[in-house]
Amino acid sequence: MKRKLLSVILSVGMVASLLAGCAVSTDTGSGDSDAGAEETATTTEDAATEDEAEDVSASEDAATGEEIEITWMFWDDLEATEDLISKGYKEVIDRFNNDYAGVYHVNVITTNLEEYDTKLNALIAANDTPDIFICNPGPNLTQYVEAGVAADLTDILTNQEKEWYDSFSGGIFERITYDGKIMAVPTNFAAACVFYNTEIFEEAGVEVPTTYDELLAACEKIQAAGYTPISCSAGTAWCLSMVAGYLCDRVGGPDNLAKIESHEMEWTDPTFIEAGEKLKELSQYFQPTAAGDSNDQATAALYNGEAAMLIQGSWAIAQINGNNPDFEQKCGVFQFPAVEGGADPNRMIVKTDNLVMSSTTEHPEAVIALMKYFTDETAQKYTAEVGGKIPVVNGVEIDYTKAPAQLSYVQDILANMTGTFGFYNESLASVEAGDTFDNAMVDIFLGNCTSEEAFQKVEDFYLKEVWE
Amino acid sequence: MDKILRDKKAIIIFIAPAFIMFTLILFVPIIQVFYYSLCDYNALTKPEFIGLENYIDLFTDDETMRIALKNSLFFMIFSAVSQQTIGLILAVLLTNIKRGRNFFKNVYYLPAVLSSAALGLLWAFMFNPRMGINQMLAYFGIEGPMWLSETSGFIVLPMWVIAFVALWQYVGQTMMLYIAQISGISKELYEASYIDGATKVQTFRYLTLPLVKPMMVTSLSLNCIGSLKFFDLVYNMTQGGPNHRTDVLATHLYTQGFQYFKYGYASAISVVLLIMCLIVSFIVNKCIKVETYES
Amino acid sequence: METLKKKKTISPIQVLIYIVLSVLVVLFVFPLVWMVNVSLKTNAEVFASPFGLPSVLQLGNYIYAWTKGYLGRAMLNSVIVCGITLIISMFLGSMASFAIARMRWKLSSLVMTYFMIGMMIPVHCVLIPLFVRFSKMGMTNSLIGLILPYITFSLPMTIFLMVGFFKGMPKELFEAACIDGCNIYECFFKIALPLSKTGVCVAGLMTFVGNWNELLLAMVFISDTSKKTLPVTLTYFVGPYATNYVQMFAAVVIAIAPTILVYCLFSNQIVDGLTAGAVKG
Repeated sequence: MKRKLLSVILSVGMVASLLAGCAVSTDTGSGDSDAGAEETATTTEDAATEDEAEDVSASEDAATGEEIEITWMFWDDLEATEDLISKGYKEVIDRFNNDYAGVYHVNVITTNLEEYDTKLNALIAANDTPDIFICNPGPNLTQYVEAGVAADLTDILTNQEKEWYDSFSGGIFERITYDGKIMAVPTNFAAACVFYNTEIFEEAGVEVPTTYDELLAACEKIQAAGYTPISCSAGTAWCLSMVAGYLCDRVGGPDNLAKIESHEMEWTDPTFIEAGEKLKELSQYFQPTAAGDSNDQATAALYNGEAAMLIQGSWAIAQINGNNPDFEQKCGVFQFPAVEGGADPNRMIVKTDNLVMSSTTEHPEAVIALMKYFTDETAQKYTAEVGGKIPVVNGVEIDYTKAPAQLSYVQDILANMTGTFGFYNESLASVEAGDTFDNAMVDIFLGNCTSEEAFQKVEDFYLKEVWE
Repeated sequence: MDKILRDKKAIIIFIAPAFIMFTLILFVPIIQVFYYSLCDYNALTKPEFIGLENYIDLFTDDETMRIALKNSLFFMIFSAVSQQTIGLILAVLLTNIKRGRNFFKNVYYLPAVLSSAALGLLWAFMFNPRMGINQMLAYFGIEGPMWLSETSGFIVLPMWVIAFVALWQYVGQTMMLYIAQISGISKELYEASYIDGATKVQTFRYLTLPLVKPMMVTSLSLNCIGSLKFFDLVYNMTQGGPNHRTDVLATHLYTQGFQYFKYGYASAISVVLLIMCLIVSFIVNKCIKVETYES
Repeated sequence: METLKKKKTISPIQVLIYIVLSVLVVLFVFPLVWMVNVSLKTNAEVFASPFGLPSVLQLGNYIYAWTKGYLGRAMLNSVIVCGITLIISMFLGSMASFAIARMRWKLSSLVMTYFMIGMMIPVHCVLIPLFVRFSKMGMTNSLIGLILPYITFSLPMTIFLMVGFFKGMPKELFEAACIDGCNIYECFFKIALPLSKTGVCVAGLMTFVGNWNELLLAMVFISDTSKKTLPVTLTYFVGPYATNYVQMFAAVVIAIAPTILVYCLFSNQIVDGLTAGAVKG
């Protein structure tokens, strides 16, 4: 899941690398051996990198010794990043440190995406939990909630900071609430839709499909017109698993996952099996190299005009427009089609970025102040207009002429939305359970086993690890 | 003289630093890893003793472990056989040519000193379905297979690919060890055998082969242990995918330990790996020594 | 005499051997050359004309890789880690080897066995306890946390090679030195060490190459971008997001260029050293 960020960094990064890049290499050119002057800025946090020291040293100079320091941990390098969302986060941090100079100060610990969990766990094990850190919803957050690492924010949100709490969009806290306790604050969200090439659709004489059968028919026509109907990456398992997740929900939603969790339902339920079979059916319209293609390659197939459709999260917008600006005007968006006789077709896969406060922080007031900066109007406006992600608070006036064209299509779809669910792999009991699901879907796709056999594997895993 | 060499204080000064480091960073952790492997332990909890449960899970209930064991053993056997044979053949060929010996030697040895992380990236490109070798095959109108994502067969295609890349990278090292051994054989022995009318093949069979046997022990144990702990190429070429089909012991350990944070379970995998390494070195040493005595 | 004469004329078998060897050279060099070629193209060119030369040399790829991949920083880290490891492990290793090989004490062979067991144990086996302990001590994100295990796991090979070297030295050397009034430390520093230069070089080379390329430990222990070593930095380009082949290869070329350069400059010495070392070892 997290890989999307990196893919964006790499693709967008090509464009503006030279200048920014050169600056980076000198900025970060200090470490153990030659930290020198910057050493003073790092102060108590031995884990804080020189990047951050550089980042904050300006305001630090002006600061008095009274200043309260907190640490924020994030999964991208704020200095080197080309990712627009990460750049927005950097602006938030800079703005916060400036406005609160002398009162609060944030030091940032950054890692790269892959190692984020390892690094965070190491800090937690060393009793050095960052005061506030970013976290994926689902099993990732669950483990920190269960281990008592995450602080309960319910009281702060619903009593002390009622006004702030009320500014959030309805239902946004749903997936980060445990037993009625709100454990995190979201900063933005993205929704998964089908992106399509309007020119290919016209050429093949295809209308936007609203049902699964129409989708198959459309694929057939597009294939006849000589294009790849759907571009999908099975090399990056979560991309395929997202399609599977949609099918599972369209066939057997919306309560299937909740029932799975409480073991009122089995993974071998006919609705899952049917979803698996539909996945196999749909996959015959994928590009021939889908098994080995990465997420980027699959996305590239859309914006290069080889493939007609791409089922992907809205973060792909930045990647598509960044790599091929001309594609913006021919790129349409529609919601994942309904399955006849299935469940509610207006539910969307969404994913939020969340901020978690450490239960051991000594300065909750500083953490809350920072959280507010992440969700204030300036930050949320940036999220939409520059980052292309969807704000989490109401009443932000977005200038859609500045924002990518696709974002307003996504917003239109969201207007009819009746419910949300997470990526399947992030909605299951553990990270490993999510991987088990992903891999079962890859197995169906590769034809290594039937839908029954694949879901039996997930069932076995749950029987052994989850439902004991 | 003798007194100087028996100086206890000096011995301790010489040995102690290495000995202490070795004990603290290698042996104490090994005892710990045995203990952890008997615990339910993840990154955020304290270790809790559960007896042999991790091992029982590992061998009865973990399909990926079976794949990893199979792949690691395949990898070890393939590497041992292919690298030793080709390495030895190259060594013999190179010691038998007059010109350019150093040039060939240097070229063949080159990949062995390069980072396998870097070479893994290179070969992942070469075996990409749309790139590298498949582009080359397409030039001749052949549609290449999905080198790194084909999943049929007992040993999946990606494992063969990785094994060949490992052969490409490390055969030079084996060759080097054999060249060293062969150049240590005195020229007179060869002259004598030619004068006796022995053919090249006979010379190889009855003179070279027995004399390089001691090197075979070293080379083979290094080779086998190296293959059992193999990580870099697999990680950078397939990351164990698709669906764990190319997982080996080291990548399975990494996934369980540092992606799922099941420290206890990953420790059990470490112990299995450790025991396999010890058994293999024991077997190699035992078997080849016996043969040497016979001949 | 006849056999000697035969060798001077090139026989058909020799020609065949040369052909086989040359084909192998192509197999060994071609991927590397292809990589350099790709690293100088644009992504579009890689797709369109896989075998053609780049129309314009895309040096920007290298600048991108160098800055975005933190390669400069990573290379410096690798040099620091491997350099310190090399010096300390050679020093500790040869001291221990000297005591094992030349000094007289009851436990010497037992201690040797103890060290040799280390050769059979992959670093992977102690990864978890080391990680747990080091993270409790706050050492997981520092170069020291890498250097200590690297030294430890370099010791067995160093000791294995150096003991072989010291054992191969004539006893008379040391006897003469003692008569001249050298103490044991002078024997070691002034006689044993200088005379085992080849051994030190071989063991040093193996230590350095091994640690320079080590991936797993560095990947697990270091997460701070500014403290990563070279192989870890390259994993940035691994996997699902690896479509920027041109920049990825530029990074790979930068990463392996120093090794190739050093290898080309010293290849004969390295190769001869290995040959000599292996025989004695």
